[in-house]
Amino acid sequence: MAAERRASVTWSGDLLSGSGTIDEVGSGAFGPLDVSWAARSEEASGGKTSPEELIAAAHASCFAMALSNVLAKAGHPPERLETSAVITFVAGTGITKSALSVKATVPGLDADGFRAAAEDAKTNCPVSQALAAVPEITLDAQLDS
Amino acid sequence: MPRVVRKAEVAWEGSLSRGTGIASATSSGTFELPIDLPSRISDKPGKTSPEELLAAAHAGCYSTSLAGEIARAGGTVERLDVTCTITLDEVEGKGHLIVSSELDVHARADGIDEAGLEQAARKADEGCTFSALIRASASVTVRAELAS
Repeated sequence: MAAERRASVTWSGDLLSGSGTIDEVGSGAFGPLDVSWAARSEEASGGKTSPEELIAAAHASCFAMALSNVLAKAGHPPERLETSAVITFVAGTGITKSALSVKATVPGLDADGFRAAAEDAKTNCPVSQALAAVPEITLDAQLDS
Repeated sequence: MPRVVRKAEVAWEGSLSRGTGIASATSSGTFELPIDLPSRISDKPGKTSPEELLAAAHAGCYSTSLAGEIARAGGTVERLDVTCTITLDEVEGKGHLIVSSELDVHARADGIDEAGLEQAARKADEGCTFSALIRASASVTVRAELAS
């Protein structure tokens, strides 16, 4: 099995004053979305997405799917998982950190079992593997019930 | 040097095979997208997936990097069309891995020839932080040509 996923971007002008658009993606699920250097490198994103925010979405969603799989295989399918990823980007250096967090409702599972499952998902989800060169990937796992 | 953080959140309900989730762009508020397993691995995705989001991130990262390199080489960018294709595959003994990211570029620019574009495209790949990350565990290829 090999799954290909595609996205297309159009950019006009130079880096600092130009701007781009994620025109379309293979699934048709989103686009157009505007991107710019300012949205990427300044503290406020100005309502535009950025490669780093998209990577955060990719990592949070990959982690959620991997964790649902690990939990179900252990006999404890989750009722609900709320995951997030915060990507830190330093212009000139690159992505220095991805901070994953999860709040979960998993019937019948204790805190230790949940932590082990979350660590497993963090280590093995394909996006974590692809981001293995990021200096710091952290996890904050919290079981609600 | 500014330190910038970007956040996204996912709410997932149910098992992997039958569950569904919503991925939201928390920092910008620009998207809220449903995700599920079939959209990740089937031939006809109806929803987005982590790999499609990475493809959008890589195309975005690379296009900003290339815009900078063409200007540095003395060219003027009119328009760059960048398509990124990410492949997820099952690797024996390792499970599912992202094995490649392919970038396809059509550039409309003044003051730069094919050789200059090729050089700028290579430098942009070296300068795009995401190319460097992905290359640590997968192949990254770039094809660039001038649009006439």
